[in-house]
Amino acid sequence: MKVLKRLRQDWVLYAMLAPPLAYFVVFHVIPILGMRLAFQDYRIIGDNVWVGTKHFEVLFSSPAFLNVLRNTVIISAMKMILGFPVPILLAILINEVTQRHFRKYVQSVVYLPHFLSWVVIAGIWIKLLSPSEGAVNLIADFLGLPTVDYMTSKDHIRWVFVVSEIWRSAGWDSIIYLAAIMSISPALYEAAKIDGATRLQSMIHITLPQIVGTIVTVFILNLGFFMSAGFDQVFNMMNDAVISVADILDTYVYRIGIVNGQFAYSTAASLFKGVIGIVLILGTHFTSKRLTGRGLW
Amino acid sequence: MKVFIHVFLFLCTLAVLLPLVNLLAVSLTDPAYAHLMDGLDLWPKKFSLFTYEVLLKNRLIAGGLLNSVFITAAGTLLNLLLTTMAAYVIARNDFYGKGLVVFFLIVILVFEPGLIPEYLLVKELGLINTYAVLILYKGINVYYLFIMMRYFQDVPNELLEAARIDGAGHLRIYAQVMLPLSKAGIATLGLFYGVFHWNEYFRSMIYISDQRKWPLQVVLRQFVIRQDNATILGGYEHLFGGTIVDFDALQAGTIIIAIVPLLLLYPMILKYYAKGAMEGGVKE
Repeated sequence: MKVLKRLRQDWVLYAMLAPPLAYFVVFHVIPILGMRLAFQDYRIIGDNVWVGTKHFEVLFSSPAFLNVLRNTVIISAMKMILGFPVPILLAILINEVTQRHFRKYVQSVVYLPHFLSWVVIAGIWIKLLSPSEGAVNLIADFLGLPTVDYMTSKDHIRWVFVVSEIWRSAGWDSIIYLAAIMSISPALYEAAKIDGATRLQSMIHITLPQIVGTIVTVFILNLGFFMSAGFDQVFNMMNDAVISVADILDTYVYRIGIVNGQFAYSTAASLFKGVIGIVLILGTHFTSKRLTGRGLW
Repeated sequence: MKVFIHVFLFLCTLAVLLPLVNLLAVSLTDPAYAHLMDGLDLWPKKFSLFTYEVLLKNRLIAGGLLNSVFITAAGTLLNLLLTTMAAYVIARNDFYGKGLVVFFLIVILVFEPGLIPEYLLVKELGLINTYAVLILYKGINVYYLFIMMRYFQDVPNELLEAARIDGAGHLRIYAQVMLPLSKAGIATLGLFYGVFHWNEYFRSMIYISDQRKWPLQVVLRQFVIRQDNATILGGYEHLFGGTIVDFDALQAGTIIIAIVPLLLLYPMILKYYAKGAMEGGVKE
């Protein structure tokens, strides 16, 4: 009875909540339930037919899928190992700048690429790496180095992914470290200075240890998105010449699903990715909460 | 040491800026001279606005620009309305069922629907080739909802209490007390959603086959990444009003057009977006 009374009293609140919840039900819950297609065969007319794990068996014995899985892991790992330290370094360096205008200028500029779409960034990089007119090859040529068509080279495309990802994200990702650095007590630095520590020594022995917690949190939380490997980037930078080394899970799901129309098979591939993703996200969230008190929510 | 750091950071900013300056310079060069420009030129060889004249008279590019503005404005408004309504409710501690709703939202956050079920749903709802799908898609972001909730929680309780004693109901308190007192939060979320809509291309590409409804990002992708000059410029590929056009200049100009609105908002983005993102990660 008490519940009913409260519901009646607060009916406006529930009415306000109804449109957002309806939105979530239509655009989230229904398609999530629709993932059962992974265990069915799609029929245009009539009901879909249950086929058990058939699509998964085909998937795991398909060399194309295994190759895509390998590419995803390699590209993600490369980005993580090479890209992860850059924003930390950047934050430490930005923090060393005391001149206010220069500091503001640096921050404003390095954050900018984060706000550009991957379509725009891919466009910029295709121009930048053009074999005949791109700045990179012109400079290489000037220095007597060989010129390379990076976008169509299987040996280079993954490096293009890594470097352009750093170009886009390193500045923005440095924000969280910069915030952590700025909350370090200045007394620590003053004490070190009195003891005769150089700037470099202060950076290594004070700044770094003080932001280790933040570094661990960010690393763990990034791990949760390991299987994504950056769909928008790969999708816009990939081409037929490099597809064998660049194709990742999400681009594969798009191609066999939307382009080839193999709805059920494609859904099986995305369910596989989704399940690993959920395990990673939940695992990393609770690990991070436990270790550092900070999680995804 | 200090000099080295300054020089290094300055080089970092050049690595971001120079590619953009180069595109700007190419797009502002007279088409007859554009073939003389390469990736290292930072100044137009012969200044001309001709490229932009061609672009802004182009059906797909000018149309795409308008479509993007419309989708971004309408989408952001709808996002803000839905998000603030939900945030108002779950920001209240006396709201019965709050735990259940928050749990539901976290489930939504963790379980991302796959591409194909979403595609089939959109098809079934008859939303293919409509602006509606682009406006409705990602109507509420759960993270942003939580951020908005915290902004609302910062509004002093006494103010809400006072309004209630004056006889104001929830709708009035929401519209006349909460929203006006949370302008920074609304600006932050508006920028989050606005940037998202402006940069969205993938759903537009899948769901919209009618080229007249393409947002700018899809046109840009077709032109610069897929190098589909014929679709963008039609039959008069090499000529515009009797003058030869230059594809590199046109592509560079299209990229610049897609960036300019973000640059116009950039001071606001720096003010609110960066702060909001930091609070989203740091609070709690």
